[in-house]
Amino acid sequence: MLQAQFFDGVTAYRHEVCISVLDDQQALVIHAESLADPVRWELADLRALRDSSSTKQLTLTRYVSSVDERDPARLIVTDNDFIAWLRATQPDLFRRDVRKRTWLRMAGWGTGAVVAIALMLFVILPGMANILAQAIPIEREVAFGKAVTQQIEWVLSSSNAGMQRCDSPEGVAALDTMLERLTAGRDMHYAIDIQVFGHSEVNAFAAPGGQVVILSALLEEAESPEEVAGVLAHEIGHVERRDPMRQALRAAGAAGLLSMVFGDLAGAAVVGEHLLTASYSREAEVEADRFALEMLATAEVDAAGFANFFTRIEGLEDGDIATPEHLSTHPDSSWRGTQAQQLAESQGGTTAILTPAEWAALQAICD
Amino acid sequence: MDTHHLASEPKSVAARQEPDSLSLFFLVFKTGLLTILTLGIYRFWQTTRIRQYLWGSTSANDSALEYTGTGLEKFIGFLIALVILALYLGVFQMLLFYFGLSMFNVSSSATNPTEQARYLVVVYIHILAVLPLLFYASYQKRRYMMSRTRWCGIRFSMEKGAWGYVIRAIGYRLLTVVTLGALAPLATFKLEQYMAERSYYGDARIKQGGSWPRLYSSLTHLFIGIVILLVCLGIFTWGYNGLATALLCVGGVWVAIGVVYYQVKSFAYMTSHKTLGEEVSFKAEPRTGAIIRIYFIAAVGMGVMSLFIIFIISVMTAIFDFGISSVTVGFIGAALSYIFLFLLFQAMKMVMITQPILGHYVQTFSIINPEPLHQIQQRQADDAVGAEGVADALDVAGAF
Ligand SMILES: [Zn+2]
Repeated sequence: MLQAQFFDGVTAYRHEVCISVLDDQQALVIHAESLADPVRWELADLRALRDSSSTKQLTLTRYVSSVDERDPARLIVTDNDFIAWLRATQPDLFRRDVRKRTWLRMAGWGTGAVVAIALMLFVILPGMANILAQAIPIEREVAFGKAVTQQIEWVLSSSNAGMQRCDSPEGVAALDTMLERLTAGRDMHYAIDIQVFGHSEVNAFAAPGGQVVILSALLEEAESPEEVAGVLAHEIGHVERRDPMRQALRAAGAAGLLSMVFGDLAGAAVVGEHLLTASYSREAEVEADRFALEMLATAEVDAAGFANFFTRIEGLEDGDIATPEHLSTHPDSSWRGTQAQQLAESQGGTTAILTPAEWAALQAICD
Repeated sequence: MDTHHLASEPKSVAARQEPDSLSLFFLVFKTGLLTILTLGIYRFWQTTRIRQYLWGSTSANDSALEYTGTGLEKFIGFLIALVILALYLGVFQMLLFYFGLSMFNVSSSATNPTEQARYLVVVYIHILAVLPLLFYASYQKRRYMMSRTRWCGIRFSMEKGAWGYVIRAIGYRLLTVVTLGALAPLATFKLEQYMAERSYYGDARIKQGGSWPRLYSSLTHLFIGIVILLVCLGIFTWGYNGLATALLCVGGVWVAIGVVYYQVKSFAYMTSHKTLGEEVSFKAEPRTGAIIRIYFIAAVGMGVMSLFIIFIISVMTAIFDFGISSVTVGFIGAALSYIFLFLLFQAMKMVMITQPILGHYVQTFSIINPEPLHQIQQRQADDAVGAEGVADALDVAGAF
């Protein structure tokens, strides 16, 4: 006979009870004068509460298969020997009984959640981004693009102390010549605004509103002005197709969703967003390449430069708007090279895009 | 004191909360680590286990509270909320960004009516789309927690009524804003009353007594702080900058203390004027000084810890020279130490701030005339499908 406290789950009255284990070790009987009849609990059905802060007592309840939750009655035992005996002999004491229906519900809603998020990320948000990117007034997009370019400049200068805007008059003139040659006779939506930043990374970006940024290492790495023209045409392709704006809109929508999924685990949300951006941009890259090749062909610029540049510099990353370096996937460099090569072979008369003097000035734009 | 008065004094029972800080620290740390390893999924079980622990260490009349919620039902509630909110919030977020682009248009003057209209749209979208959900979530969270709390084997519960709460919350908050905070006590009183009067312990309903104008005395220190700041503004326009800066600091601190004072005093008033059933009532006597001391000790403790960590890191860097040996090693080292620090401070915050404040509120709470509690009967179980999923999805889940 052990002393214990018992709440019958019907009233809040505390019964001071005596408990005894039956001789066949199958059940436990709870007696008290305040209880109408002794209560019998099978030992195999006993469950104890987990993560309890008290080590001196154990709260017991009973597994009931017929109802959703456990028996609302509670038995509080404080006898150390009895607690130790229960722990030793009852393997199911701390078992959590999850009903099959609960698992099914989880599977159902889990599938629903995955479908809803996938639908959102891959159908609804991209669709909306397309519509809104078309609807946005151009002045507003330009203002936003300038803010983005400034942001890029700030990020770059934090990783490279000597970062500067490069604008030697001869170099700028050479860039203008190149741009004019590429866009001559074309109906352009945007006034392209090219800037060169002194930075050791071989890279180029297109930001919303016709802003294009070229990093100086790309100019130094290029062997001919046609190679630079190829990259520039590719970025203009992004600009004209409004890719940067679309990507920014998509990212804004996805950011809310992903932070909802991962809670306050900021790291996971950021990685998820980068992977997403990479998958979005694959299609955009192919289209920008197509646009670039067509532009080079119309302007009668040798496409061999374009082919060379991408095959030569494996792993060149062109981050568009805030595309992460190692996750962004370009169309396979060899595919891109082959396409450009085919065009180059079919091209008739081409003329140099810059004179040697202009090319030298462009390469020295940062000096 | 005459003996007659003593005899008529009703019996009262004080509540207690006595957790073991060390095991609570390790519980938070351990479950936090599991949360990171599972990319955030374990967070539902983490919250559940912390609640189980805190409830279990809280008792009155020698009987501890019990938390019966499970991580799994919380996770399912979150999935349900995701299905409903994914479509809604993604679209909302993008529209907000789209209209927010107007803020980049610095060239045009702010008096331009279309610009202003666009800006207002941003504000309205925010109010209309997210605020109702936040109020909805806070009601559902309290309802779920009540329905999963037991004392003496008897359930607490709360009636449905989240949307009614949303409408009232928006109305009263709007009133508070329009009156520049002058009607804040009305909002505090009515909203707490709405929740309290839908709450039960077993079959006994809670009643909220008292009246809202009585809450004005709780605003005393907030009012003094604001007056100091206004005086400071006056002095600043007269050109005494040094004096103004000093007053700015005093006023700022006074306002911060005033906010805590209001929370503590309004809680005490509201709780002390609640009754359960016909006869049981409560007394809450939390002290502002005690709460501020907890914050102060935590700030000092965490500050010392931060200095110690900075010291360790600089010693380690000097010894191993991570920066030069390898970029990858350095990156992994940085990520691991970031995770460690995140977990450390999460656990320290629980042990030094969240639990002590909760503990202070519990320790200064007592039940007056608890005798009739024994007759309270169990009430029908409340399924509370969806748990507090919306709160989890919107990340308003709070510390526990
Ligand atoms: Zn590209």
